[in-house]
Amino acid sequence: MIKLEEVTKIYKGDVVALRNATIEVNKGEFVFLVGTSGSGKSTLLRLLNKEEQPTKGRIFVAGKDIGELSSWKVPFLRRNIGCVFQDFKLLTNKTVAENVAFALEVIGRPRPVIKAQVPAILDLVGLGTKSENFPHELSGGEQQRVSIARAFVNRPLILLADEPTGNLDPSTSVGIMRLLDRINKTGTTVLMATHDRSIVDTMRRRVIELDHGELIRDQARGVYE
Amino acid sequence: MPIKVDYAARETASNLKRNFTITLASILTVFVSLFLVGFSLLFRQGVEKTTERWRGGIEFIVFLSPTANPDQIDAVRTALDSPEIEKVTFVDQNAAYDEFRELFKSQPDLLQSVTPDILPPSFRVVPRDKDARTVEDLSAQFRGKPGVKEVVSATETIKLVQKITNWATWAITGVALVLLGVAVLLILNTIRMAMYARRREIEVMKLVGATNSFIRVPFMLEGLIQGAAGAALAVGGLVVSIPFAERSLPSATEFPLFSGIIPATGDRMVTYVLIVIVGCLVGAAGAGAAVSRFLDV
Repeated sequence: MIKLEEVTKIYKGDVVALRNATIEVNKGEFVFLVGTSGSGKSTLLRLLNKEEQPTKGRIFVAGKDIGELSSWKVPFLRRNIGCVFQDFKLLTNKTVAENVAFALEVIGRPRPVIKAQVPAILDLVGLGTKSENFPHELSGGEQQRVSIARAFVNRPLILLADEPTGNLDPSTSVGIMRLLDRINKTGTTVLMATHDRSIVDTMRRRVIELDHGELIRDQARGVYE
Repeated sequence: MPIKVDYAARETASNLKRNFTITLASILTVFVSLFLVGFSLLFRQGVEKTTERWRGGIEFIVFLSPTANPDQIDAVRTALDSPEIEKVTFVDQNAAYDEFRELFKSQPDLLQSVTPDILPPSFRVVPRDKDARTVEDLSAQFRGKPGVKEVVSATETIKLVQKITNWATWAITGVALVLLGVAVLLILNTIRMAMYARRREIEVMKLVGATNSFIRVPFMLEGLIQGAAGAALAVGGLVVSIPFAERSLPSATEFPLFSGIIPATGDRMVTYVLIVIVGCLVGAAGAGAAVSRFLDV
């Protein structure tokens, strides 16, 4: 599903974010990316949906070399990749339902489809009763559920999560992880960057550890350290 | 992917409302500049029309009597073939009629009463020496010749009008161009502000895979509407002010030079269409610059 071939990313001023990384992730896998801040986790995620271009190396998503993708095709790549962030990135002037509907509306889904899919996905994330609330009326955990609903409503092949529990307390985090696990079980490949030791240790999934842009560990059913 | 019309319309409308004052500033700038452009174009058209026969250095015109016979015409032609004269153009009755029709396009009842055979044919004369006294002496030789009805020389007024018109057209065009440049920058800024206000939405749109065109269309429309609205105001302003101008002009009998200065309806329409096109271009240029500079994938 995802393949990196000797990918290097160097930012301005010789800042090496990723060096010679070769990673292969199969369809339906759940992968934790761990490492200290600045180890290159976020860069890796940003390379996958082409927000950044690699300095060297090739990246394949769903069998396609995304380096050869012309810029007008990038949006279509992104429709296959859901993204979840630490700060949720919800639109504060829209309700929960509108936030999720927005993701479908801007990729041109017909209105009946939107009307059917939004309540269904909100039920899935457990927010069926809060669809008319605004983000500021929700708890952090609930806001993250909205953002997961928005990322997943289009049934992407891949879900990228950049520290999705970074702003949440441990018990709320467990709920979010259950949700991501459930999404993973539908066949969606999940890549999650995290600092949360207990989550990684409890879930026992594949762990990829980065240190200053170097891949130093790739372990099936791994732990945080 | 088809762009959803209702989405684009809604977004454009809310952008325009959100930045109402600066939107108004752009529209008014486009309006003032295009009004000036339109005004100077119409004014120039009018003056060119009324001084048509005096262009190209023509200093005096020998009007022949409509009943002059070919021998008389030939005699005048031979007399004009002198080293003191640089160029002579003969305008026969049909050509004179065409000219007349052009000049009085806006007065159809006058046109009805005139036929080519009552109009005088004429020689348009370009002398080598343009000095007023020489021209006067030269033209006097033809007064009273058989078949000559009258000799008219370019008056100082006509020369002055031509000079002032040229000067004024350039000045107004210059000011209008600067204003149009200001309008492009204002529109660019308005749209940049609209994009800044919506930066979070734009970020989400990019993340979920909205196409570039989908993200850009509302902003492009916003610029286009500002340009077109300014142009519409300018056309409206000209349409309203022409009757006033017409009324305040000296009547044709008092001052015949101004009789044809208001351009005919057809010429005016061409000018209006031109103004609307320029307005849309200005809007599109401002929006296009903003979108391509501040909206990368």
